[in-house]
Amino acid sequence: MLQKKICMLGGFSVGKTSLVRRFVKSIFSETYLTTVGVKIDKKSVALPDKTVDLILWDLAGEDDIGSFRVSHVRGATGLVLVVDGTRAATLAAALTLRERVEAEFGAMPFVLLFNKSDLADRWVIPDSEINELRQRGWQIYLTSALSGEHVDDAFLQLASMVAK
Amino acid sequence: MTSTVDPVSLPQRTASNDTEIDREALARLLIEIARNVDPDYRARFEAVPTADPRMETLRQLLVSREISELSRVTHLLDEPEQLAAAVGDILPSAAARAPHAQLGEALAPAVERAVQRSIQKSPRTLTDILYPVFLPAIRKSIGEKIDQTFQSLNETLRHIFTWHGLKWRFEAWRTGASFSEVVLKHSLIYRVEHAFLINRNSGLLIAHVTADNATSEDPQLISSMLSAIQDFVKDSFNEKEQSGLDTIRFGDLRLWSEVGPFATLVSVIRGNPPEELHEIVRDVLLRIHEECSQALVEFDGDSSQLAGVEAQLQTCVEQKQEESNEGFPWLVAAVALLFLILAGGWFFLSWQSGQRWQAYVSRWQAYVSRLEAQPGIIVAEQQVRDGQFYVAGLRDPLAADPQSLLSGTQVDPARVHSQWQFYQSLELEFVLKRLTASLAPPDSVRLSIDNDRIVAEGEAPDTWIDRARAAAQQLSAGGPVFDISRVRDVSPEVLEAERWQAYVSRLGTQPGIIVAQQKIRDGQFYIAGLRDPLGADPQSLLSGTQVDPARVHSQWQFYQSLEPEFVLKRLTASLYPPDTVRLSIVNDRIVAEGEAPDTWIDRARAAARQLSAGGPEFDISKVRDVSPEARAAEHWQYYVSRLEAQPGIIVAQQTARGGHFYISGLRDPLAADPQALLSGTEVDPARVHSQWQFYQSLDPKFVVKRLTASLTPPKSVRLSIIQGRIVVVGEAPATWINRAQAAAEQLSADGVVLDVSQLRELDLAELNHLREAIQTTDIFFSSGKVVPGPEQTPVLDRLADQIKEFAQNARKSGVTARFMLTGHSDTTGRETANASISAARAETVRALLNKRGVAPELLLVRGAGTFEPAVPENSQTGSSTNRRVSVTVNLD
Repeated sequence: MLQKKICMLGGFSVGKTSLVRRFVKSIFSETYLTTVGVKIDKKSVALPDKTVDLILWDLAGEDDIGSFRVSHVRGATGLVLVVDGTRAATLAAALTLRERVEAEFGAMPFVLLFNKSDLADRWVIPDSEINELRQRGWQIYLTSALSGEHVDDAFLQLASMVAK
Repeated sequence: MTSTVDPVSLPQRTASNDTEIDREALARLLIEIARNVDPDYRARFEAVPTADPRMETLRQLLVSREISELSRVTHLLDEPEQLAAAVGDILPSAAARAPHAQLGEALAPAVERAVQRSIQKSPRTLTDILYPVFLPAIRKSIGEKIDQTFQSLNETLRHIFTWHGLKWRFEAWRTGASFSEVVLKHSLIYRVEHAFLINRNSGLLIAHVTADNATSEDPQLISSMLSAIQDFVKDSFNEKEQSGLDTIRFGDLRLWSEVGPFATLVSVIRGNPPEELHEIVRDVLLRIHEECSQALVEFDGDSSQLAGVEAQLQTCVEQKQEESNEGFPWLVAAVALLFLILAGGWFFLSWQSGQRWQAYVSRWQAYVSRLEAQPGIIVAEQQVRDGQFYVAGLRDPLAADPQSLLSGTQVDPARVHSQWQFYQSLELEFVLKRLTASLAPPDSVRLSIDNDRIVAEGEAPDTWIDRARAAAQQLSAGGPVFDISRVRDVSPEVLEAERWQAYVSRLGTQPGIIVAQQKIRDGQFYIAGLRDPLGADPQSLLSGTQVDPARVHSQWQFYQSLEPEFVLKRLTASLYPPDTVRLSIVNDRIVAEGEAPDTWIDRARAAARQLSAGGPEFDISKVRDVSPEARAAEHWQYYVSRLEAQPGIIVAQQTARGGHFYISGLRDPLAADPQALLSGTEVDPARVHSQWQFYQSLDPKFVVKRLTASLTPPKSVRLSIIQGRIVVVGEAPATWINRAQAAAEQLSADGVVLDVSQLRELDLAELNHLREAIQTTDIFFSSGKVVPGPEQTPVLDRLADQIKEFAQNARKSGVTARFMLTGHSDTTGRETANASISAARAETVRALLNKRGVAPELLLVRGAGTFEPAVPENSQTGSSTNRRVSVTVNLD
């Protein structure tokens, strides 16, 4: 049994919970997010040589970065950064969250999800910016919790990164 | 200008002190060097030295102090001991001045490693160091635990005289343990259902073990969520890093979290675990850390390295204390209870005698409140003054005496000063007492209190009822109601009528008795109705009713009651159930239970069908057919008796053994086949082992059969058995009569009578004529021929007709005729050839007759050769006469 702790980070209402709700195994209700501030879910990813259980810590999204409980990230081996493609501010929030985490626990593998790709007409993140981030070697996926587009790809990618 | 200073001597001149350059020496040196700028200088000094001592002097002058300082420092650095001494001097103040955060960060890993190392080397040292820290914490923890224990103990002691309390008392006495131990033991019914070993850093599940039958959601998720909740609590209440969330309790379920350096052991417990369980869990966690410390430190989500810890966790999960279901020792409990009561009483008395004044006052208070609780006593005031007790108030004369109430309270009567005014209490019991005193009710009347009313019940003469009514009216307003409506007036006539009615209603409830009408006239009682003969006798029911039997006139018609008990009685009488069958009444149905032979069951079934409509159901479904073995034996016996009744079969012996049946005896071959007789007896043929010897039965029936087989009597003869004799009646050919007579003689030797006297010889007159015609007919042949010539055809035709007619007539008379065709030859030629010619001639005639419609089985053929010539063989005619086929007629 190989498990990895993964934290899902992102601003308020970027769709982390929706991503989790449809694509992973979940036994806890979403009220945990508002009460405890974290909800645990599991995503089993089959890699060619083994299966990795990603234990996803879905941290309550807060626009106030200051109230982010960095202690929840302790022991994590990877991050899922979630950005709402229709709100530019959430990209900055996600990057800030990552910086805080790296400052506390050092660099760790991550995937960056631009969520809500199904809302093309309200999309505000320019392709150039995404390309620029890709240039840095980041793993970026345009996902949609609605259609499920690229969600599994993103988890597969992250699993292969953390299972090395 | 000449040099006044010898440059060589310059180096010897040292600085006048350590801090200042020797300015005078420097000036002189510079002047000297300046002089040497003179071009002549080189000319005057032929050989310029390679190393100018003045430079050395200059260096000395400029940096000599630094050099010496440097060499001192170098020396310091090169010598570890000196360096250590030097750093040691400044280390405390340096550490004090360093920024706290940075220093902490810098030192943390080293300190952690150092502490780890120290623990690995000798845990004792660190224990000693931490002892002053741990001790207060442990003391506090124990204090809390003791409080908790006492609380639960108090809870339990509150129920000390409950069933459990007594039971545990007894167990304590029996096992020698303290009572509180026993109470704890029984209060703590628990079971460890899960054990999670969770990585402290990441919250990832290292291992999970679950008890039998316990279920939970995904343990991986649960372990992470538990960590998250721990973090949550820690963050929410600013708790320190080390203290974990010890216990989560949800109803019957507890989560105990035991925190170790690298892993947390969370046990999920259902019920009330004892404190020792903490020790057990802690030990398990400690052992896991000891055995797998390296793997725990390096744990990165791959639990395959830690496969062994599951076995350790299993010891946690095996912990449980189940509620025992042992039977309760009543007798011992009763003894223990008695002992407890005695001990309690003794304790109470000794405790009381030792009380001080405070207790005495409280006893007084108890006395006063006892007075206040007393009906008919109203305490107006009471006080304690100078060691004396004062009480004043009202009391009903019928109420308890306040003085007498003192007894047993241990309040000294001498110190009590009472002042009581009498009054009449309107409380129910006092009114009742007063009424009882004033009315003096007869024994048949009972006064009682019923819902704020006083009720008189029973029987009384009308005079008493009048007095009671008056008293009821006089009862003061505000007082209780006195209800005398339930007192019956009793005159002798009323009593008698009542008794009669009691008898009648007794009859009415009697099963099998139907009261049609009843009346009382002129002091006589008349009753009429139906009664089942099996029911109780109405007359005998009179006894004890106080009704005079002489005045009772009954008229009863008999009838058959359909009440189940009567039907039961009748069924019992008619069916004669075997001892193995029990008839009973269940819910108005008559149920037969037990075992009975199928014949009885059939009868019972018939009876059930015949039970009249409207009557109870007769259920025989619970009667089992008697055991198959018994039935099989019964069937066997039936078969044996059937065999024995069979003529021509003699059963010598028979046994049934091990489910198999053995039989042996004699049987006449003509008797019925014992095997065939089995059919219909329900005896399994496979289990029957028979041994039969054949014999000839002298039973007339068999003799007749044998005779019929051996004598083949003609159809005109009938053999019959009349009174043990065999009588042959009818007509038969004389030959058959002769054979029958021979058989009769033979049989008479065996004692069997065969009466042939009534046989008459068959009248064959007509046939004899035909026979004569047939027997005189010959078929002639030419010499050497076996086929008759054409001139013989009419003879053959006639012969065939005659034979057919004769056979037909004989058959009518019940006789079978057979015709012997005998072939003959003349003496010409060899004897053997003649023999075969004669036989061939007979065969030919047989074929020719057959061709003319004579049944071949009636024709017998023989060749007589030359041995039976019709005429002597001495003439021409003789030869031709002898070449013939002759016919003889035989009658069977």
